[in-house]
Amino acid sequence: MNWLRENLWRHVVGIFMVLFAIFPLYLVVISSINPSGSLQVTSFIPREFSWKNYQMLFNDPTIPYLTWMKNSLVISVSVALLSVVISASSAFAFSRLKFRGKKSGIQLLLLIQMFPAILALSAVYVIMERVAVFAPHFGLGTQPGLLLVYLGGAMGVNIWLLKGFVDSIPAELDEAAKIDGASAMQTYWLIFVPLAAPVLAVVSLLSFIGTFNEFILARLFLVDMGSRTIAVGLQGFIGGQYSQNWGPFAAGSLIASVPIVIIFLSLQKYIISGLTAGSVKG
Amino acid sequence: MRNGKSLKALALSLALAVSFGVSLTPVHAASTEILVWADESRGPNLTKVMAAKSDWVAGYKVVIRTFSSFDALKAAVDAATDLTGPDIIVGANDWVPTGAKSGKLAPITLTAAVKAQFNSSQFFDLSYKGKLYGIPLDINNVAMIYNTKLVTTKPASFGDMVTYYKTNKVAKGLKAGLCVAGGGMSWGAHQVFSALGADAYMMKKDGTVNYGQSFNPSLFGNNVKAYLLDGKKSNGFFPASDTGCKDNFLAGTVPFAVIGNWEWQSYVDAGFTMNLMPVPGVTAGTYGKMFGSVSGALLTSYAAKHGTEAAAKSLLVNFFASTAGQVAYQALEKRPPAEKGAQTSAGVTSGQKGFGSAASLAGIPQIGAFLNNNKGGASYWDSAPAYWTAVLVDGKDPIKEARKLAAIWKTNVISGQADL
Amino acid sequence: MVAFFRGKLAFAFKVLFLAGISALLVLLLISALGQKQYAIGIFLILVVIGLNFTYLTKVSIPLKFFYPGLIFLLGFVVAPIVFTLTMSTYNYKTGNYIGKTEAITQIQKLAIEPDASGSTFDIIVGKYNGTESAILASDTVKKQYFISTYDKRIDLNVTDIKVNEYQVAREAYNFKALADAELAGADKLLSKSRFFYTSEFFIALEGFDVGALYRQKLNFLAIQDAFQNIATGAIYKDNGKGNYANVDAPGEILEPGWRAPVWFENYSKLFLDPKVREPLIRVFIWTVVFAVSSVLTSFAFGLLLALALNKPIRGRRIYRSILILPYAMPSVMSILIWGGMFNTEFGAINQLLGTDIAWFQSVTFARVAVIVVNLWLGFPYFYLVTSGALQAIPSELNEAAAIDGASPRQIFSKITLPLLLRILSPLLIASFAFNFNNFNLIYLLTGGGPKSTLDGDIAGATDILISYTYQIAFGSFTQDLGLASAISVVIFLLVASISLYGIRKSKVLESFV
Repeated sequence: MNWLRENLWRHVVGIFMVLFAIFPLYLVVISSINPSGSLQVTSFIPREFSWKNYQMLFNDPTIPYLTWMKNSLVISVSVALLSVVISASSAFAFSRLKFRGKKSGIQLLLLIQMFPAILALSAVYVIMERVAVFAPHFGLGTQPGLLLVYLGGAMGVNIWLLKGFVDSIPAELDEAAKIDGASAMQTYWLIFVPLAAPVLAVVSLLSFIGTFNEFILARLFLVDMGSRTIAVGLQGFIGGQYSQNWGPFAAGSLIASVPIVIIFLSLQKYIISGLTAGSVKG
Repeated sequence: MRNGKSLKALALSLALAVSFGVSLTPVHAASTEILVWADESRGPNLTKVMAAKSDWVAGYKVVIRTFSSFDALKAAVDAATDLTGPDIIVGANDWVPTGAKSGKLAPITLTAAVKAQFNSSQFFDLSYKGKLYGIPLDINNVAMIYNTKLVTTKPASFGDMVTYYKTNKVAKGLKAGLCVAGGGMSWGAHQVFSALGADAYMMKKDGTVNYGQSFNPSLFGNNVKAYLLDGKKSNGFFPASDTGCKDNFLAGTVPFAVIGNWEWQSYVDAGFTMNLMPVPGVTAGTYGKMFGSVSGALLTSYAAKHGTEAAAKSLLVNFFASTAGQVAYQALEKRPPAEKGAQTSAGVTSGQKGFGSAASLAGIPQIGAFLNNNKGGASYWDSAPAYWTAVLVDGKDPIKEARKLAAIWKTNVISGQADL
Repeated sequence: MVAFFRGKLAFAFKVLFLAGISALLVLLLISALGQKQYAIGIFLILVVIGLNFTYLTKVSIPLKFFYPGLIFLLGFVVAPIVFTLTMSTYNYKTGNYIGKTEAITQIQKLAIEPDASGSTFDIIVGKYNGTESAILASDTVKKQYFISTYDKRIDLNVTDIKVNEYQVAREAYNFKALADAELAGADKLLSKSRFFYTSEFFIALEGFDVGALYRQKLNFLAIQDAFQNIATGAIYKDNGKGNYANVDAPGEILEPGWRAPVWFENYSKLFLDPKVREPLIRVFIWTVVFAVSSVLTSFAFGLLLALALNKPIRGRRIYRSILILPYAMPSVMSILIWGGMFNTEFGAINQLLGTDIAWFQSVTFARVAVIVVNLWLGFPYFYLVTSGALQAIPSELNEAAAIDGASPRQIFSKITLPLLLRILSPLLIASFAFNFNNFNLIYLLTGGGPKSTLDGDIAGATDILISYTYQIAFGSFTQDLGLASAISVVIFLLVASISLYGIRKSKVLESFV
């Protein structure tokens, strides 16, 4: 009786939300094995079963699915690593060093993130179009160009997130190092980076996922079939002028989300602490 | 001491940089590449055609750039400034008015011999203020099919279909009577509008547009009431949205569907025996009018900046407007070719023939200047689906809404005259 | 270890590294200036100078830490914002898209008309008398042949030329055709060239093999900055809004126009033009309602779950693993799936509920659907952060309150919830700001609809400011980037001030001092 009163409602809430969470995902799974290539929203029990959609992804020469996957991984991993390397030092400066204009700097950083990025789209396009004119390898239509834009976009969020983490790392250690005569650079590399390593990993993971999902910039930037990312490639299945191929889209999305889900599930402890650390202090 | 080193370092880095820079500064030769932008369906096929035969313009190489989707292509065309861009865009006919107005497209004049290879209404589709901006490439139209496993006699009138739906709804588990699978609730659904008496613009007997007149709203509204409504509610015959139409048609739960000619093959592949026809009108023997439009290979104004304008024009004439070019391309792309020679010489499928004959029974030109115009408050494309929603979903009065629709379309047609 | 940072080797390494990066940047700089991209060139100069200055002197230690981040922010975030700000003061829309010089070139190019019969000629491009650019033209029907240069026409007899099987002239005396390889180099010049036919008509190229007969309709008067119609004498002058307009009939403009500065016109339209203002106000109200209710519902459900699963009950790990799936799945995919599920006739939701609701066609239901989907996307995040925050609340507090005789409900409402809100308020504000601009959801789920277009609605019922603005900026038939930029600047000011206020209020910024 006591158990019931204490725990039953917990399970009721849990099961209800689990069903809510899993229902659309279940439809994706059965759409991916539906040979008619359409979105399976009509019946909850798969009428037919076939691997056709999956085979299409790997066998059809016009669909370089593995190349898309590789492109996505290369771009997302690069953004994840580079953006953390660059933003970590900024976050360190904002958190630990004293300088004039620090407070307004932080506020400005917060403010420019509020700009509706979608609407700066044409501006970014125009800038990269110009870059393409003089440096064809870094401009519009190239992966390095897209990488640069992503890095710029990730900077604000990452500095902001990382600063939250850094604030939560006790300052005693670097104070001590300072007294021992270490320069700021040394404190950063020898004390701060090792301490913040798990936190850096979480932020880079979040950048990875964000980059992996992005498609509006990517579809404008990456034109050639072979240079597309997975999000753009998959969106192509359903963004046709007249036709929508939901089957391969569902199959492709499922495969693409497997690595993210696995990373998520295995690192959930870090991610939770990562998401809250910015606000929960001391 | 440090400063000295720093200066040396600076000097070193700049010296390195300049020497690199000078040695690698690109030499700008005259371009011998003609750049074509296309969507994910046409792009790969054009690439193959160009790989098979490369000398469409002597001395030039044609480079096809394929976008991930038609939307992505449109987005890039809209975002491109006058700095970069393609020489030719393979796009929709309704990109012509905006592209020309904004100075993104450039006109072309064809010889009489080339002109004779196309239907003049196709040129009309790709023209703005009397100038032609591209070459017609594919024909796009829709037609109605019915599932012969369900419907044994060809419907002679709109009422026949409604009667069939009402009598068999329960017994055969029908989810709808007629739905739009291809072309959407404005372009694809024009046949249904027209079958019930609402045409986007009225034509005179001589084939010219009648500017002073719109369709008769009370006649149309009463037809909607009689055939599509059950009191104030939809009778379920005609859904107000196109989602799921194809699936349900293939599953046998919808007997009639409007489909596009580009997706015909997928119905054949699904193992269906079906017949193609225009949507029958309320009086037996009449039909709802369907839009026939073309996609075009459009010349851009960037071509002149690239120094490839004459070459791009040559490619348009030698490849896109030629029988040989369209045959080679449509052999892969499998849409109905626009060029007359290709229409007869290509291996035309039965589906393409069916669409062709449906179009000859009930086709009207798709005049972007009227349909894209929104001086009446909304374009045809936005107002058409809104009518279905208002009447079939919100239960608003079909005649009152039809009056609003008629007023919007009439204003659009009159003010669209200026863009012809 | 310290030696690594201070030694000569380290210094040499640093210099080499800097030199390498500077070299790359200077390389780009030279190329940029070579291509006349001066704005980017100047930016690169400043970057190189700043780079060497920062790392080779000891002016500012903090600068050493955030210089790379700063450059990226300036180049890819601040620059686009500045660009958008500039564009908001321009008449920058369909019809006024290119620069003025380019517009003049194009008007001149378009202001030609073919002769009455639309005559065309088969041509060969080449040189006359060895140097003069010329075409050898044939009218195969009329059997008319001539050579035409920029300033004269030399008629030829059939005996002067050699023709091919189509009766097109291939060779003529004193005329040398360009080889295929030479054509590419000559294209730019040839496309602009006008070959003499009569004093009124000229021939322009329509490809390398075809020429068409035209005459000029408009003349550009460079000194007056105006166009003149040759036949009627009508004058078209710069109307200050990016078009040449007929001075006698200002409505009659020449196309294309160019993007021209109109200062605050886009902004004043926002407030004064009822056609722009009214939908904007409606959309703004819904945007706030949408953002607030999304945050509240996601937070409420996340909190409920976090409370339910705060105890180590059986199967908690499984619950947790499944519950974060919506957060881990690519959102583009899940939104599109939800779109299919809400379909009236065939969708899973109506089947499940046994209803026939037209979700996306009815204003209320569409709004409910949008919030439900956003709840699905958002609750796992709040579940995760609330669980974290719950663990951070010291348990002594609750215990002390329990000893004082407070009921669990009192403990929750008096202690736990206020503390949670305090801890999570920056995240709630961030989530509000995110949802305020949640473009993907609206764009992919409802496209902003439904819209009572027949009653003159321009904005849809679920359109939020950003999706509505996107429609204005990148809509299918007309694009108004100027107006859209002005709206985005206003959105920016709104969100920024709301967030700043919220953050000041929650005292998060205290630690920045």
